[in-house]
Amino acid sequence: MSMSFVELDVRPILRAGGEPFEKIMQTIAALRPGQGLRLFATFKPTPLFHVLGSKGFTHEATELDGGEWEVLFTPSDAAKPNGSVETKSVGDDSAWPEPVQELDNRELDPPEPMVRILAATEALERGQVLSALLCREPIFLFPELAKRGHQWRGAFEPDGKTYKVFVRAGTAKAAVA
Amino acid sequence: MIGASLSRWTLSYFAAALLAFIGAQALMAAGFGFPNAPIASPETLVLVHVVALGWLSLLMCGALFQFVPVLVARPLYSNTLPLPALACLLSGIGALLCGFLQLDGRIAADLPLLPAAAALLGVGFTLVVWNLGRTLWSARPLTLPARYVAVGLLSLVATVALGIIFALVLGGVSAPAFAELTARGLPIHVIAGLGGWLTFTAMGVSYRLLAMFMLAPELDGLSTRITLYAGATGLVLAIVGGIAAISLYGNADLALAAAGAVGLLALGLYGSDVLHLYRARKRRKIELNSRMAAFALTSLAVAVVLTIICIALGALSRHIGAIAFLLAFGWLSGLGLAKLYKIVPFLTWLECYGPILGKRPTPRVQDLVVEQRALKWFLLYFVVVWLGTLMLLLGYELAFRAAAALMLVATGGIVFQLVRSRRLADVKADMRLPDGAHYPKLLLSLTPHR
Repeated sequence: MSMSFVELDVRPILRAGGEPFEKIMQTIAALRPGQGLRLFATFKPTPLFHVLGSKGFTHEATELDGGEWEVLFTPSDAAKPNGSVETKSVGDDSAWPEPVQELDNRELDPPEPMVRILAATEALERGQVLSALLCREPIFLFPELAKRGHQWRGAFEPDGKTYKVFVRAGTAKAAVA
Repeated sequence: MIGASLSRWTLSYFAAALLAFIGAQALMAAGFGFPNAPIASPETLVLVHVVALGWLSLLMCGALFQFVPVLVARPLYSNTLPLPALACLLSGIGALLCGFLQLDGRIAADLPLLPAAAALLGVGFTLVVWNLGRTLWSARPLTLPARYVAVGLLSLVATVALGIIFALVLGGVSAPAFAELTARGLPIHVIAGLGGWLTFTAMGVSYRLLAMFMLAPELDGLSTRITLYAGATGLVLAIVGGIAAISLYGNADLALAAAGAVGLLALGLYGSDVLHLYRARKRRKIELNSRMAAFALTSLAVAVVLTIICIALGALSRHIGAIAFLLAFGWLSGLGLAKLYKIVPFLTWLECYGPILGKRPTPRVQDLVVEQRALKWFLLYFVVVWLGTLMLLLGYELAFRAAAALMLVATGGIVFQLVRSRRLADVKADMRLPDGAHYPKLLLSLTPHR
């Protein structure tokens, strides 16, 4: 079976200082079975690899001239992560409510950012969203969120130094043994 | 699963490594090996490999099983393989040490101990490199610190390959073609191991750990890249160039000199990068692990300066033992102990309180340690390592043994503090085990929710 790719060029958005994440997720949500995404960006969108990886996409990144990147995201059923419930339905991803709380954890020592995000998430109503700014990708946070049945989206800001994560409180709290 | 979780066998590696470290210091205090015995004697070979394999390599492997997944934001390829790898490595180290003792006739020569050691260490390190290599491979293209680790792992492969050749030749198995390499290849084995595997990997790891724990910006600028390329070039010159030169001309001096020049550039840039990290940190009052790491980095700088002075004075071969001692105990061991004092409490905290974070009050990571108590042992450790180096330079053997005995005391004090943090002994009783917390085992990490 041949794979067809929907093309999305977010370079103009990035150059204008905008945030293409929502646009990328809408495009992903609109893909038909057997379709992949061909993405053009002004930097290597590493965080996106993780986010789309958790949705079962493999990626193939190629550097273009001038430090720009072309990435092919290919859906693969084999890549489905076990035990994580953060992306159960694709329709979920099109629109999240505005965050009810915004944390700035950039000046905190690790692992304090993770502790505060988990504490704030536990206080959310189901479906509510919080956002947090961090100075690095919260590697140990993601498995903990997955175990607790929460959803997240995260990416580096265009400055490449600030990591912004959105967490939406989920339902599967019984997942913690 | 996205992100990283606990590496199951890392603490077993740490425990085995610390036992070897204590053993090596006891041997030095007892006058076993250099400087009491010649630097190339079987006794010294035993001592050197207890330190390089038993202590530093096991420490590094254990740390990388936890740290590589953090670097690349991917789970470790296998959380099971580290255990058989550890069994192979430990039995291989045992066979190697006994094999060295065969060389001076302390153990009867009828058992093929060196070939057995070659096989066991070969399998053990293959399992380690395969596991870490697959983890890195899945995360290409690699971030800068991960590239340092990749170069370090390639150097490990070269070190082990040379070691296997030496062991087979000395054990009487190998073809005569390798005899020349065995006779002249020792500096390459040492540079690949101490420089490539241990130092280069430690440099890559330190970039990330120092930035993380001092809230300094991640370095991925030009100087950090040049450091990587210069260091890698130096290692290729020393290892590939050195082996080629020996087989062509029977002498690797030129290749090693060229490697040294490029390596010096890499170390100089690394030094300025690290100074930048300390200066650009947002956190003014830094934790004990970062303060003690500064002493280890100072030891590296002193060792480099000492090497240059000795080369200029034509005294390198006379003082190589003292320089190697400072590198192994001041730089690598010092950095290792300093970072253990952060990593062990952190992993313990994450294992114990991770599942209930945000649901119930939990201690902070720093509640698992009492820095004031550990500080005196760290200070004693570094002071006596520096004194020991001085005694070696001056040729005061008995004073060196006294310094080694004090190192043993200091290490014992640090290890005791590490065990206390693992046992949550310094956490206030009412906070220690809230409902849902998981009391950690001493030697392995379990993730109960899997």
